[in-house]
Amino acid sequence: METLNALLHGFAVALTPMNLMWGFIGVTVGTAVGVLPGVGPALTVAMLLPLTAKLDPTGALIMFAGIYYGAMFGGSTTTILLNTPGESASIATALEGNKMAKRGRAGPALATSAIGSFVAGSIATVLLTLLAPLVVEIALKFGPAEYFALMVFAFTTVAAVLGSSTARGLASLFLGLLFGLVGIDGQTGAPRFAFGVPELLDGIDVVVLAVGLFAVGEALYMAAYTSRLPETMEKLSGSLMMSKEDWKRSWPAWLRATAIGFPFGTIPAGGAEIPTFLSYAVEKKLTRYPEEFGNGAIEGVAGPEAANNASATGVLVPLLTLGIPTSATAAILLGAFQNYGIQPGPLLFQSQADLVWGLIASLYVGNVLLLILNLPLVGIWVKVLQIPRPMLYAGILVFATLGAYSLHQSWVDLLTLYVFGLLGFAMRRFDIPVAPSVIGLILGPIAETQFRRALSISQGDATVFVTQPISASFLAVTALLLIVPWVLRRRRRAAAGN
Amino acid sequence: MRRSAAEIALSAGVLGLGAFATLVTAQLSGEGGYAGIGPNFIPAVVAAGLLVVGAWLLWEALAGGWRNRGAPEAGAEHAFNAPAFWWISAGLFAHMALIGWAGFVLAGAVLFACVARGFGSTRVLRDAALGLALSLAVFVFFVKLLNVNLPAGWLQPLLGSAGI
Repeated sequence: METLNALLHGFAVALTPMNLMWGFIGVTVGTAVGVLPGVGPALTVAMLLPLTAKLDPTGALIMFAGIYYGAMFGGSTTTILLNTPGESASIATALEGNKMAKRGRAGPALATSAIGSFVAGSIATVLLTLLAPLVVEIALKFGPAEYFALMVFAFTTVAAVLGSSTARGLASLFLGLLFGLVGIDGQTGAPRFAFGVPELLDGIDVVVLAVGLFAVGEALYMAAYTSRLPETMEKLSGSLMMSKEDWKRSWPAWLRATAIGFPFGTIPAGGAEIPTFLSYAVEKKLTRYPEEFGNGAIEGVAGPEAANNASATGVLVPLLTLGIPTSATAAILLGAFQNYGIQPGPLLFQSQADLVWGLIASLYVGNVLLLILNLPLVGIWVKVLQIPRPMLYAGILVFATLGAYSLHQSWVDLLTLYVFGLLGFAMRRFDIPVAPSVIGLILGPIAETQFRRALSISQGDATVFVTQPISASFLAVTALLLIVPWVLRRRRRAAAGN
Repeated sequence: MRRSAAEIALSAGVLGLGAFATLVTAQLSGEGGYAGIGPNFIPAVVAAGLLVVGAWLLWEALAGGWRNRGAPEAGAEHAFNAPAFWWISAGLFAHMALIGWAGFVLAGAVLFACVARGFGSTRVLRDAALGLALSLAVFVFFVKLLNVNLPAGWLQPLLGSAGI
């Protein structure tokens, strides 16, 4: 009941004309930029972050939630028509979606992904509404030691457990943590890793890192390795309408995908990549038309797209209630909060109830707006796809440099941006995950603060992390996650040796 | 046995960064107050982490190559196109040098033209004109509507008299 009141109050905030307008601008800009090939939600949010400088926090954050959702919707259009997934979470959609488009079924593919995203996003938002207050209840009991243990857990799963290589994941994480150390130490005011450069004393901004890795790195990679390849775009011909058969095959996939995607979003599992592939595998297993898989089965589009959106909403649970980002995009969103001096966490639900619940209510509104924007107006977004690649990347880099330059009006930030661009180029080329770096940069300083606070409270007694039950459990689970796969591998190898 | 010079170099880079971080950390204060640890503690942990991971990657690179490296799909990549890479880099450096002096609009036009060239466009003048139009629109939007401070540079007399 209390939740319902809070939500109704949130709707009162979200539906004021100004905030409705910010939400509308957010979903429109998010869709438009998200449609651009090679531009995923993380880059969209990062490039548009400098815009917030002059806006009031509630409006700006509502706009960012819209951009976050919009970029996801827009990305599916690109994936289906161009077969160039802008982010890892769209790869599963590309498998069947592009095949459907090749067979002249682009319309139903776009429809099932848009409606599926709407259904999954809306159900997931209801789950977020119900779950967030419960997590807040628990999180209010957390002290610095618990937070620190939880962050260690998040670092470990994102960097070491998921992904193709523990070593490369950890390398990415430690790089991010190192970048996070640059600047003034929050506790003592001592400068660290700044080398007397004024731009570095402020710390490395998440915008520079994310835009460098995602925009500059991507542009360098695409130009150096793919610019001579021909590009084919599927035509959007025929009706957008889904047949009765399409509906019958889509809706169970949407619901199953929501059930898979949402929980994965709420745990630190590195975003939407795993649940989308899981949903694809489930649909492939359960389908009554196995022969269609690989040739454009509609379930293979409906499932992953719905899972993607459900997990994107799930990500907001730990972000809003605990202040813990579990994907690169969430880390950048956390940067948007920090620009306003707002630290997401359980206290936010008390001190800034208007803002949090307004934001949650705006997600319901955003889902509806996106359905309207994406179904009847899909023709407009298809035009965006026709921008030639040289113009596209040139434009992206103009915006990328603008974001970095506007931080201090200094070329030093542009040099930093280029260095991160080279890093992103190498990471892309050598299969090093990028998300752990972004999460390390933004979460590292918070984890350090909690660590030192916990030790201050215990007067330097380091056992505080293992004597308190919640903190000890997080650390134990973390250790298990690291040790168990290693032991299993050893045993398998030993068995194979015998 | 596959050995990649690039993998070895990158691993050594991580190792080197760890060594560098160790050196910098050694200069930091260890004054800890109540916590008993100072601003140098976490940097030391991170530096140690970089050293360990760098050594681990180097070992992998020398012993059969990095593990589970996803190979690009057939037809998804061509050989390294050095001019493309350098055109984009040159564009970014020209932009860096020009922005504070010639202004945001002109620097943006040069960057746009260089990046388009890197992606294989051959109509340099048309690209520069497009870049000029885009940067000008962005400049007006940000300076006028969002009050973001961007340098007008050489175009100051022109932009100033236009009331921008």
